[in-house]
Amino acid sequence: MDLTPREEVESPEDVRRRIHRKRRWAILALSVLLVVVVAFVTAQGLRNATLFFRNVDEAVAQRSELQERRFRIQGRVIPSTVRNESGITVFEIVHNCAVAEIRHSGDPPELFESPWIPVVLEGKWSEGTVQTLAGSDSHYFFSDRMLVKHTNEYASANEERISEALPDGFLEECAFDDLASQS
Amino acid sequence: MTSAKGRSVKMTATPFTRALGFLALAAVAVMALLGLVVSPPDVVQGEAVRMLYLHVPAIWIAYGSFAVTSVSSLLFLRRGKRREDKGRHYDRLGGAAAEVGVLFTGVTLITGMLWGKVTWGTYWQWDARLTTTVLLFVTYLGYLALRRLPADPVVRGRRAAIMALISFINVPIVHYSVDWWRTLHQKASLSVGRRPEITGEMYWTLLYSAVAVTFVAVWLVTHRYRVIRLEEIRDEEMLTALISQRVSQDLPPVSDGDFDE
Amino acid sequence: MSEVATVAVGWGVTAVAVASYALWVLLRGRTIGQELDIGGSSSMLSDKDSTTDQ
Repeated sequence: MDLTPREEVESPEDVRRRIHRKRRWAILALSVLLVVVVAFVTAQGLRNATLFFRNVDEAVAQRSELQERRFRIQGRVIPSTVRNESGITVFEIVHNCAVAEIRHSGDPPELFESPWIPVVLEGKWSEGTVQTLAGSDSHYFFSDRMLVKHTNEYASANEERISEALPDGFLEECAFDDLASQS
Repeated sequence: MTSAKGRSVKMTATPFTRALGFLALAAVAVMALLGLVVSPPDVVQGEAVRMLYLHVPAIWIAYGSFAVTSVSSLLFLRRGKRREDKGRHYDRLGGAAAEVGVLFTGVTLITGMLWGKVTWGTYWQWDARLTTTVLLFVTYLGYLALRRLPADPVVRGRRAAIMALISFINVPIVHYSVDWWRTLHQKASLSVGRRPEITGEMYWTLLYSAVAVTFVAVWLVTHRYRVIRLEEIRDEEMLTALISQRVSQDLPPVSDGDFDE
Repeated sequence: MSEVATVAVGWGVTAVAVASYALWVLLRGRTIGQELDIGGSSSMLSDKDSTTDQ
């Protein structure tokens, strides 16, 4: 059998192209879609991911520049401070001995109940004199979104370990150590 | 399913992979028992902690699969010219492993979203860990799409291999994102040189699950590798048959419709 | 969704996803194997061969 290509016979490459032409367009379209998705994801990431939250001490220090801006604040919930005031959950969070009062509208996630749970809150500083464990404060944080930032510590619910959620020495340096720990 | 499996054994199974398949099934059954029944609920998270045993091994396996893809891509690029088949077995292994990696990255994302809903209170947040993970998923989907773009197998293999090596840069970024940036996501569950902050039974269940999932992944990659080889043989034979048919019978050019898969 | 339901959905979805992929791989291998006449059944390629290779 003579396989030498004649003029009217397509080369193997041509046949291959012919077979795959339709599929190629579909895949090119898919690739364009993928590029768009990647660009979108990267943009989202750059906007949100680099400074996902400010810790309480930073948020307090940057109060003048933050003003009414919306941002996320992170700290551990002080169990003894949690109360409900006509649908608003009021509590204090602490990080690096800085304390902020939070007024949160909306239902907190289930794990909010756990003592000393780290939370991330979305909202802004509002003016108003409040009393916290650390003393008097000119602002409180008004939040409408709460995320529980659970840790990578896992322990069996059957084991009786004390102060599981609060790392050793977390409040040791703070002036209000005793007050906070009374809960 | 039994009949399908029974007959397909002739195609892509060997006694070794069949044994591996049963081992994987048994290992997964024990994993479900340990993860869902034997291991205790968490002191903070309660029953939700059981997502750990899927979520974490899934991303480990995905990292491992992408590492296999990278190494075989490198070998394909380096030895390509010297070997008789131009190192296409490396190309096949890279493709098979990447597909399994994408599967398990998808599992990680889905289990993570569900887990996030009950612990964080949200399915999704664009924090550094979640963003880089979704990017990992999308880039390797792109790699798989690139592998399907028709081209000369060796050219296509080279393109894919380069893309695989570029995509792998993201793997350490995903892993260390929780240390490099502030994230909603917690830190790594286990890392070298740090005492695990996870109680004994949970720790061992997690490690065991990783082993069980590895068996599954190895089985999947092995079979997928063999199926890719079959796809290649089919493509080559189709082409040869086509050409010889048209040369000998002087038929008009073939239309697209003749080759619907 | 409760914790237990979430865990059930998570494990369920994962099991279905991985099992479906495994089945797809097996069936694809079987289909192509038959086309190539590896499994013993007839295929279009073998028919073609008989009419064209002379």
